[in-house]
Amino acid sequence: MIVLSERSRAAWGRCLSSPRVLAGACLIVILLLVALFAPWLAPHDPQDQDLLSTLLPPFWMAEADPAYPLGTDTLGRCILSRLIYGTRIALYVAIVAASGAMLVGTVLAVVSGYFGGTIDWLISRAVDIWMAFPPVVLALILLVGLGAGVNKVILAIVLIDWTRFCRVIRSEVLVTMTLDYIPAAKILGFSHARIMLKEILPAVTPLIITVLSIEMGIAVIVEAIMSFVGMSVESNVAAWGVMIADARTTMHQAPWSVVFPIGAIFLTVLAFNLLGDGLRRALDGRLVQRNG
Amino acid sequence: MAFLALQLLIRRALLAVPILLCVSALVFLVLRLLPADPIAMSVPPGATQADYDQLRISFGLDRSLPEQYLIWLGKLLQGDFGGSIFFRRPVMELVAKALPATLELVGLGFLLGIVIGISGGLAMFMTRGRWGEQVLDGSTTVMMAIPEFLWAILLILFLGVVLPLFPFIGRLAPDLTLPVPLTGFLILDSALSLRVDLLASVLAHMALPAFALAIGIAPLLMRVLRSSLLETIHEDYVTQARLRGVSESRIVIRHAFPNAALPTLSLIGVQGGFMFGGTVLVEMIFAYPGLGNLMIDAVRNHDLPVIQAVALIYCVLVLGINAVVDVVYLAVNPRLRLKGRPA
Repeated sequence: MIVLSERSRAAWGRCLSSPRVLAGACLIVILLLVALFAPWLAPHDPQDQDLLSTLLPPFWMAEADPAYPLGTDTLGRCILSRLIYGTRIALYVAIVAASGAMLVGTVLAVVSGYFGGTIDWLISRAVDIWMAFPPVVLALILLVGLGAGVNKVILAIVLIDWTRFCRVIRSEVLVTMTLDYIPAAKILGFSHARIMLKEILPAVTPLIITVLSIEMGIAVIVEAIMSFVGMSVESNVAAWGVMIADARTTMHQAPWSVVFPIGAIFLTVLAFNLLGDGLRRALDGRLVQRNG
Repeated sequence: MAFLALQLLIRRALLAVPILLCVSALVFLVLRLLPADPIAMSVPPGATQADYDQLRISFGLDRSLPEQYLIWLGKLLQGDFGGSIFFRRPVMELVAKALPATLELVGLGFLLGIVIGISGGLAMFMTRGRWGEQVLDGSTTVMMAIPEFLWAILLILFLGVVLPLFPFIGRLAPDLTLPVPLTGFLILDSALSLRVDLLASVLAHMALPAFALAIGIAPLLMRVLRSSLLETIHEDYVTQARLRGVSESRIVIRHAFPNAALPTLSLIGVQGGFMFGGTVLVEMIFAYPGLGNLMIDAVRNHDLPVIQAVALIYCVLVLGINAVVDVVYLAVNPRLRLKGRPA
C-alpha cells in the first residue's frame, strides 16, 4: 500500500508540474468563473436589442461604441455579453454530457471486461455498430427522433459517446484483470461488485479522467454544431453556435462578429485538450519512462 | 497476396451485413420516435383529411412498425430507397446525384490531409529537439482545438471574403455548365470533356472545403507518425544504417518511415470514418450539393426516407473505408502476409 501511495503521489506531482495540465486547468477555472458570474460580468442583457446600433465594430475600430466592447450583431445585441452567457451553455453541456457518457461507458466497460463471455461479446458488438456511424450523423438522427433542445443534445451525446469510454476503458480493464491482485481478491471471496468497485475501478481511474477531459471538449463542439444547425437551444438564446450561425449571414459587412464565438470555442476546446493531453502524458506509464 | 486480400474483403463484407442490419433497424426505430408528423408538414394548406389519409397510406405510415421496417428493407434490397416526402422525388435519384459530389470531396480532402499529415510528421521528426518541432507541435494543438466546420467558416472568412481568392458556394461557377454530365464526378467529367476552365473552376470550388476536411485529420496523423518514427530510431537496423554511413534523410525515408507508417495507416482508417462525418457540416457551409447537405435538408424537414437512406449510405462508406485500409495494411505489412491470418 505504501508503494502505491508513493506512486500516486509521484503521479500527482507529475500532473501538477506539467505545463499543459496547469495551462488547461487555469483556462477551465477562468471559464467556469465567467460562466458562474455571467450576470455581473456582462455589460448588457444578452437578449437586449438595440436596433439603432446594429453591427457595431469592436473597440479597436474607429466607429466603435465603448458601451459595446466587442460590437453588436444584426439585432444590436451586445456580442461580449452573448459570448459571456454562451459560456454557461457550453460548460453545462460539457460537464453534464461528458459525465453521463463517462458513467454509462465506464459501467459497461468494467462489466464487459470483468465478466467477459456473452456479456462482453454483446457490449463489444454494440460498440462496433455505434462505430459504423459518423458521430455527427448519429447525433442528427437522434435529435430528429428526440426533438431539438439543449437537454436532448446532452442525451444524444451520452447515447453516442459512451462508446469512446467503453472501448478505451475495457481494454485497460482487461490489462488489470491479468494482475495478481484480482485473482487474489477472488480467492478471498470478495463479491463481484466489491472487486469491480474497489479493485478494478481505482486502477482505471486515471484513464477515465483523461478521457473525460477530452470528451468535455468534444461535447462543447457537438453542442456548437447542433446549435449552429438549429437543433439545440432556441434560436434567440446566446449560445456560441447560434452566434456563429447569425454572424455567418453578415460576414461581408461584419467579419469580426464570426471570429469571437469561434475564438471562444477554440479556447474552451483547447483548455480541455491541454488538460487531457497533459494528464495522459503525466499518467501514462510508458510515456513517463520514456521521458525519464 | 491477392487471394488474401480477397479473403479479407469477403470476411469484411460478411461482417458488414449484420452491422448494417442492426444500423438500419436502429435508424428506423429512432426516427419513429419523432414527435412531429412529417405528412402534416408536407400537405398543401388546403388539403382535406382524405388527402392526408391518402398521403399517409401512400408512404406506408398506416402500417405497424415492424411491417414498415420489413417493407422498407425489402425495397432497399431491390435498390429502391422509397420517395422523398419533402423533395417529392425518388430518394435514389437524390442520393445518386449527391454521392459522387461527396466522394469526390472526401477523396480530395483525404489526399490533402494525408499529404499534410505525413509531410508534417516527417518535418516534426526531422526538427526534433529544435524550435521547429515546438512550432509544429503548437500548430497541431491549434488545429485540433478547432473542429472542421469552424475551419470551414474561418477559411471562407479569410480566403473568400477578406482576401477573395477562392469561391465558396457550390461546385461550379454559375456561368459555367458542364456539356454532358457523365459520371457525376465533376473533376472527371471536366477532364473528360477537355475543358480546362471547367476543371479549374471545379478545383477552385473544392479547395476550401477539402482543406477544411484535411485539417480535421492532419494533426493527429502528424503526431502519431512523429511518435512512431521516434520509436524506430532506437532500433538496431537504424543504428546499423548509421554505422554504414547512410545519410540521415535516407535513413528516415528508407528505413524508419516504412516501419513507422503502419500505426499511421491504421489511424487513417479511423480518421476516414470521421471525415465522412465532417462532410455533413462542411458541405452545408459551402452549399456543396453532396450527401451532407442532403442530410441537413432532410433533417430540417423531417424527411424520414431521405434521412434513413443517407444515414445508411454513410455507414456503408465508413465500413468500406475501413475495409480498404485493412487491405492496404495487409499489402504493406509483410508480417501479416507471412502469418496468412489477416487481423
